[in-house]
Amino acid sequence: MPLKLPFSSLILFLLSTYVHAYELGRGGQINDHINVGGYFSTEFESNQQNDSFTLDDVAVMAYGDINPMISYLAEFEAVGFYHKNVSDGSDGGSQKFHIERLYGDLWMSDDFNIRFGKQIAPIGYWNMEPINVLRDTTSSPLYSKLLFPKFLTGIDINGYVPQSEGLRYHLFAQNNRDLDEEYINIPNTHFYGLAIEKEFSMEWSGGGSIGEYITLTNQRTRFLQTNVKYDDTTWQLMAEALVASNEHNDREDKASLSGYVQAMYHYTPEHAVVGRIEHYNDHYSDYKDTILTLGYSYRPLYPISLKSEYQWHSQNDENRALFSFSVLF
Amino acid sequence: MKPILLIFIFVSTTFANQYSVVISKKTNVTSLSVQQIRDIFLQKRHSIGDQRVIPLNLVGQDASRIAFETDVLGMGRDRLNTYWVKQHFQGIAPPITQPSHESIKAFVQNVEGSIGYIPSSMVDNSIKVIYEF
Repeated sequence: MPLKLPFSSLILFLLSTYVHAYELGRGGQINDHINVGGYFSTEFESNQQNDSFTLDDVAVMAYGDINPMISYLAEFEAVGFYHKNVSDGSDGGSQKFHIERLYGDLWMSDDFNIRFGKQIAPIGYWNMEPINVLRDTTSSPLYSKLLFPKFLTGIDINGYVPQSEGLRYHLFAQNNRDLDEEYINIPNTHFYGLAIEKEFSMEWSGGGSIGEYITLTNQRTRFLQTNVKYDDTTWQLMAEALVASNEHNDREDKASLSGYVQAMYHYTPEHAVVGRIEHYNDHYSDYKDTILTLGYSYRPLYPISLKSEYQWHSQNDENRALFSFSVLF
Repeated sequence: MKPILLIFIFVSTTFANQYSVVISKKTNVTSLSVQQIRDIFLQKRHSIGDQRVIPLNLVGQDASRIAFETDVLGMGRDRLNTYWVKQHFQGIAPPITQPSHESIKAFVQNVEGSIGYIPSSMVDNSIKVIYEF
């Protein structure tokens, strides 16, 4: 369901005209019910085939409370807005805006909240903060891109588990096609799951999920996922892993394990070095890779991110260098 | 006798809790843990029991706000900024702000479920103290 560029330009014009109480990285407020913001990212990639520059994400979003019980969020994004192959001089891009998120929240209590519409699937850490400016590296682990649908067009019942301390649950289900199939990593018709997350302390958290989805090509995948994180602002350690098994027609693949471990060290609040090792294994696509990433992150302000990294791949000669500049506004 | 009195005054003014977290007298809440207050001001929880709550922050960088963020939320300014930038992407805005301690007190007096922090010296019987720091 793409939106035409003039419409998005109109949105940007209206935002710049009517927004007040603006703060970089926290957006602005139009009135008591509408907060607005957005983000963009640019990326430069150098690999063994070519060098390229991409204005990758351009997004606008609005959210707010309609009343104390009902809130909403809408986000529209153009991916690959402009792309230039520096090696051969060709360029292109798509200025179509897609529905990234469009959902409402019905708050009944802290233990029982219903989110309905297109939303980020509540799985792990990486998937919940998918945009460049919030990530610690320009690239994402293949784990978070290829093994489960990033979005859910359905319902997520969530909240704190009653009588628990810091334990949250998500019970989610989708029984239809995605709201914008041009804009999802794995177009699917069914997606069900249960996720839990627990804050053990200010520094430690962990969680896991179990679920199943059926793709448009009728591949059924069942997965079991887990994640853990330590963050004391100087050091951040995080790890996620997922075991998946696929079924397609009469063929059933044995379960495969994918995941990553990442460490980041802030030697000042603005500067950090990051390292990640990931292993990806998918029997269905017959693709297996181990990737080591070393990167550097500089944030003059938290919502402004400059990152560089180099990736070493175990297969397919896919080593590459990535640089990016991104802003959340 | 006089030196003992002076020492008592010095100790009580130096070590007394300077600020109080206050809530409307109409609510049934009598006290909250640090974790509960933290969850409310980080917009993770929106109720205490059946009572919907409205957290109030003081605008700017007043000493009471810095003390609240450090002693109660347990987060420095950088960490808190990072947190709210991430929450902005998730569609969650920080608590509303008030321009002064007087307006926080008036808000708490008049709006059931509102919760804020003021100097303990401003506390009277029109509001209820649920935590001191």
